[in-house]
Amino acid sequence: MRKEDTVKLISAEGFEFVIDKKAAMVSQTIRNMLTSPGSFAETQHGEVTFPEISTVILEKICQYFYWSLQYASGKETEFHIEPELTLELMMAANYLHT
Amino acid sequence: MRREKKRFRENYPNMSAMYIRVKRSKTTYFLQCDPTETILDIKQKLHPLIDQPANDQRLTLVETGEVLDDSKTLADQKVENDAVVALTLRKGCVL
Repeated sequence: MRKEDTVKLISAEGFEFVIDKKAAMVSQTIRNMLTSPGSFAETQHGEVTFPEISTVILEKICQYFYWSLQYASGKETEFHIEPELTLELMMAANYLHT
Repeated sequence: MRREKKRFRENYPNMSAMYIRVKRSKTTYFLQCDPTETILDIKQKLHPLIDQPANDQRLTLVETGEVLDDSKTLADQKVENDAVVALTLRKGCVL
């Protein structure tokens, strides 16, 4: 895997998640951040910080990205969400257009 | 829905069957992989991301605490989709 094909998402607490660019592109918001014209730092370094998203939620979101790619390629499993995460997860999903 | 799936499959023809989460200190690497790949393959995938050669890396399956063997495959050692694997590095290699 080449470094250029990955992006780093950083949570409010500073934890980093390195994921495939195509997985991150499941989120319309991240897609826009990474592909918008002009030389933004996000596009160049492939790093996006989310000061409003906690680590637990951000990890869940990354898992969702991969799940969604697997689902779309024909593997029909369920995506498990802990009830206590739902509210925060929905707010993050709304922000990320996921 | 069906048509959407088909279109997706055309866009991403080689989506791997599984991924694992490799964690070290504050960083998590999501790696796409296949159950038939060996641990050495995984370490080689990590190499460009962490700038550490495969033989300086050690991977431990967090669930069981087992140290993963280079020559064995993921399936052999029961590393499943979404598994968490801890990464440690040989002493002297500062990340």
